[in-house]
Amino acid sequence: MSAVDWIRLVIGSLFVLAGIVIFFTELYGVFHFKYVLNRMHAAAMGDTLGISACLIGLMIFSGLNFTTLKMFLVIVFLWFASPVSSHVLSRLEAATNDNLAAHCEIYEDVEVLDRELIAAKADKNSEEKEASAL
Amino acid sequence: MEKEMIYHPLFILVLVVLSFMLLVCLIRAVKGPRVADRLMAVNMMGTMVMVMISVLALLFQESYLVDICLIYAMISFLSVVVISKVYIGIYEEQHHNQEHVEGGNTDERS
Repeated sequence: MSAVDWIRLVIGSLFVLAGIVIFFTELYGVFHFKYVLNRMHAAAMGDTLGISACLIGLMIFSGLNFTTLKMFLVIVFLWFASPVSSHVLSRLEAATNDNLAAHCEIYEDVEVLDRELIAAKADKNSEEKEASAL
Repeated sequence: MEKEMIYHPLFILVLVVLSFMLLVCLIRAVKGPRVADRLMAVNMMGTMVMVMISVLALLFQESYLVDICLIYAMISFLSVVVISKVYIGIYEEQHHNQEHVEGGNTDERS
């Protein structure tokens, strides 16, 4: 094995290791949180970041050929599909849970949320101005 | 020859670790108190299986296994969307029926 092969082996192993660590974090998060909408946050991380890290490591192992291109296609597809499936899952949870209010704050009207967000932003801005004035 | 001596144990180690994680995911899918929990766990398992199939493609030097991985990604996405939509439909149908039955009962009482 030449020096280039060794470098490829080390960098690829680092990427695959990073991917496995991210999968482990995902599993820990899924067992640590108490409610589906919180767990989904941890699960979506593995769907995009974990599989990207693992497949980039495998792409470095395999070199430049059609296998690499197909693996890249898998990553790109998952970047589009994973947010959509997370969104559909959270809609399922919001539509079928009768006491959703026990787990999170619900805004019946979106305008109320908008107003609160604008007020919070204004507060933050004024605080920053005070801090800069001091 | 030397290259294979290094890559094969590495790939097999990755496969073993991923299969243990897959089992833990299965526990979440069985335990999950709500339907969304189970669907999410199945989605996670799909992701891990995709990585395993890609590792197998490099281990056996068979390029067509990555095609299977791509199709697996598409089918797992489709299954999550379709099952969620079907379950929302079933839930709303049951709710509608319950309201109908309750309405019928009040009519009888009056």
